[in-house]
Amino acid sequence: MRLTPAVRALWLASALLPHATAPLTAQSDTWALTNARIQTVTRGVIEKGTILIRKGLIEAVGPSVPVPADARVLDLAGKTVTPGLFDLTSSLGLPTAPTPGTGGVGAGAPGGGAAQQAPAAPRQGMSPERRIATEIRLTATDVKPIRDAGITAVLVSPSRGLFRGMSALVPLRDDADAGTVIKSAVAEHIGYQGVQGDYPQTLIGVIAYQRQAFYDAQRQGMLQDRYRSNPRGMERPENDPGLEALVPVVRGQVPAFIEASSENEIRRAVRLAREFNLKMTIVGATEGWEALDALAGRPAVVSVNFPAPTAVTGWSYRLSQRRTPGDSASSAREAQKLIEGNAAALNKAGVKFALASGGSRDFLPNVRKAVAAGLPAPVALEALTIRAAEIAGVGEMLGSIEAGKIANLVVSNTDILADSARVSAVFVDGIRYEVAPPPPARTGSGGGPGGGGAPAAQVAGAWAMALTSPQGPLDITVMLVQNGASFNGTMTSQLGSQEISDGQITGRNVTWTSTVQFGGQSITLNYRGEVDGNRMTGSADLGSFGSATFTAERKP
Amino acid sequence: MMRTALFALPLAAGVLAAQTPVQADTSDRRPAMPVLKVDIPPAGTLVAITNATILTASHGTIENGTVIIRNGKIASVGTGLAVPAGAQVIDGKGKFIMPGIIDAHSHSAAESINEGSRSNTAMVRIEDVLREDAIGLYRSLAGGVTTLNVLHGSANTVGGQNAVVKLRWGLPVDSLLFAGAPPGIKFALGENVRQTNVPQTPGRTPRYPRTRMGQEELLREVFTRAREYQAEWKAYADATTQRRKDAKLAEPIPPRRDLQLDAMVEILEGKRLVHAHSYRSDEILMLLKVAKDFNFRIASLQHVLEGYKIADEIAAAGSGASTFADNWAYKLEAFDAIPFNAALMAERGVKVSINSDSDERARRLYQEAAKAMKYGGASEEEAIRMITLNAAWQLGVDKLTGSIDVGKDADIAIFNGHPFAPASRVEMTLIDGRVFFDRNKAPTLDALIEAIKRRPRANTTSGGDR
Repeated sequence: MRLTPAVRALWLASALLPHATAPLTAQSDTWALTNARIQTVTRGVIEKGTILIRKGLIEAVGPSVPVPADARVLDLAGKTVTPGLFDLTSSLGLPTAPTPGTGGVGAGAPGGGAAQQAPAAPRQGMSPERRIATEIRLTATDVKPIRDAGITAVLVSPSRGLFRGMSALVPLRDDADAGTVIKSAVAEHIGYQGVQGDYPQTLIGVIAYQRQAFYDAQRQGMLQDRYRSNPRGMERPENDPGLEALVPVVRGQVPAFIEASSENEIRRAVRLAREFNLKMTIVGATEGWEALDALAGRPAVVSVNFPAPTAVTGWSYRLSQRRTPGDSASSAREAQKLIEGNAAALNKAGVKFALASGGSRDFLPNVRKAVAAGLPAPVALEALTIRAAEIAGVGEMLGSIEAGKIANLVVSNTDILADSARVSAVFVDGIRYEVAPPPPARTGSGGGPGGGGAPAAQVAGAWAMALTSPQGPLDITVMLVQNGASFNGTMTSQLGSQEISDGQITGRNVTWTSTVQFGGQSITLNYRGEVDGNRMTGSADLGSFGSATFTAERKP
Repeated sequence: MMRTALFALPLAAGVLAAQTPVQADTSDRRPAMPVLKVDIPPAGTLVAITNATILTASHGTIENGTVIIRNGKIASVGTGLAVPAGAQVIDGKGKFIMPGIIDAHSHSAAESINEGSRSNTAMVRIEDVLREDAIGLYRSLAGGVTTLNVLHGSANTVGGQNAVVKLRWGLPVDSLLFAGAPPGIKFALGENVRQTNVPQTPGRTPRYPRTRMGQEELLREVFTRAREYQAEWKAYADATTQRRKDAKLAEPIPPRRDLQLDAMVEILEGKRLVHAHSYRSDEILMLLKVAKDFNFRIASLQHVLEGYKIADEIAAAGSGASTFADNWAYKLEAFDAIPFNAALMAERGVKVSINSDSDERARRLYQEAAKAMKYGGASEEEAIRMITLNAAWQLGVDKLTGSIDVGKDADIAIFNGHPFAPASRVEMTLIDGRVFFDRNKAPTLDALIEAIKRRPRANTTSGGDR
């Protein structure tokens, strides 16, 4: 593993502390998993075999591996062992409040001129130098629900911003921290969210800013090279951490992971990648079936956080026609079919991709929907394991059950993608974690709680909401008063204060509307969100203005 | 106009601007159109439109005329032409055909139009945020429009770079771009830039400039800086040449490439056309003076509602004027407008176009042009030119489109009556000789809604002309 300086520094620092002197795999025993059905992913299925784990690695795998005397034997007759699954779209363990940036790439970039003003607020999401590995703070409680579904490694990056920083691949151990990180930096993460009240604010500004930043990074690299080879007589290049982080990206040495969901976002990302010859992976691609030509030959991380049909089928247009279509149910089904068939379409077109949660708590249930919509199950499994590992740059270490690879494994009662699959144990770095069977009342499997019948989420209180639309971001303070499964409240922003109406809670899912008055007219905004403890994510249908996405954090 | 002003706000404006009556219909963000299966004939089809009344826009009206289209270009036009073997024949009997309409001021086809955070955003590009699926595009096509000047909004003194597009509905977004159209940029003057309609955040310094004289200062400042930047690159080029002759010299270090100043230099070098949002005669005279001092030309004054007061000065500056037919008084700086504006400016030798600045007006620009005949007595051909050849000239594409002349792109609108007759409507719209709109095959709204269920994209094999 090639260590980034920051991680190396952290390791060196932590090595001086008594608790950290033990090797990474100190907690892992020597295990012999016997009589298991082994889904190696890369080398077929071993119907009855043994996996030998030592020092956190797979020492041997096969139908007739001798069990050494020092091994603890786990008889897995009737169980299936699968490589640990990946989720390459995670923000697990990041501070919930955005980390103040450093002022963005390049002092005053791009352009100067009389019109420029000092930024009034920290420039969030504009910190390419941010190293996520050094920021991760995890507890066993954070990790467990995700790991219980069979996920053993997550790629952590901030979910918003235009230069979000460098992601870290984190093993889902109870003690996961900077020291146990599998790889950092995996990629520079890039998106299309602007900065409220400052340049760049809107989509058109964001892309221009990114283009200028890459030109600046090219020049920074050139100046540094020249200065290194001969500093005499040359003005010293400016020390700019943001630009320096982008130098290896613009040189194709560090991959650029660009979050792009809609067809045109995908095409925009591909154009940027071509312009600078970036080593680019599209993340999201929920409308990938519309941009197969653009995706051809490029790796992709395909989200199974399926968008609501309104976001992709133009129902906002239909609503703007003030018609009441009688066909909404069948249209919804048709649209849903296309959306869920995205991965199948990409596979058919020969795109190599990993599947990822996209932030959805129903990760595996949604993967099963993608399989039901035509994605061959073996391809889905590869997309959750070996392809994800390759895209994260750890294909030699993870993603399949092979001797010498890291012992990240999932034990389940049947094929992990079967509807009836139940995970009973997970190994991460050879450390065994038991998974308690789910309470009988729950439906679905592996993807966490939720769905019908679940008690209404608690939403009362104050929330800080960040809304993003093509016209730019907007901060909103949301005050909610809950009454059973319904709620009301207010939304306050620079648009003024609006009453919330029709607030409904179904399990974790919430919907409400608010009406903005302007110019003697009123525009109704429909919100749809998913509550996860003190966090809410979702989208807002802006009527004839399309849709926006939001995240909200509960205020203490 | 109004919409662009309001887009100066952050999200607030984006959401609210189009709620004004003028713009009630502008921004379906993700409309149903991608579901619309359109059968676009392949490029290069041999086409003959026969027996039609041809309003050429350049050399009068041809009765009973025929247009032959070969490889997307007009191969011949006139009377008594033989229809070549194998040609697809469009019977023009009883029909009127005119050049495809060019809308010199549009915000359709862009997902984000106003980066209002600074008063100079010359580095932002409409091309980066184009969208092919906005319903307004299809409606415009159904109104005979073939070319749009998609502009940045008017929040900033120097706005973003424009994109001239052809309405190749059904093809992917990259296919929209009009190859051969010179690059352009949006400027804006007056109240929108002053942000007099933008609520100020307490404690936050309002954005400079707050006055029209500040706008002039900003322009002079950025062009002065652009000249310096130009000189830096010239010095670098000279130093590189010197070093090639003498290897002992230190390798010169290139200046920082600044995308904002690149655009300003292109303006100075005459390579980038300026389209300037403006209303009042005093601010227009100011801009013309700045352009003269820095030795470049304003390609088009947009809105230019007081242009009739200074038509001679506009003509002398060689600038075009792109205005509304009869839309005014929506704010104080638009109070001195008169419907005679277009005809009066044309009479004084200004190349005048009539634009929409609106998805709604864009689909009936031919009726807007007719108003120039009613108010001010423009000739029929002059009025036709206001939505075709003159607009093409303002966008620098008059050698390629804008009239029915041999060698030009076959961008053609076919009407069932005279375009200026109130009940006439567009039957067919051709771009590069390909029928992109055919009323006989066009789906009704109900059919469109039905089509949402199927939503296949038109099969696309070509990337347009780019």
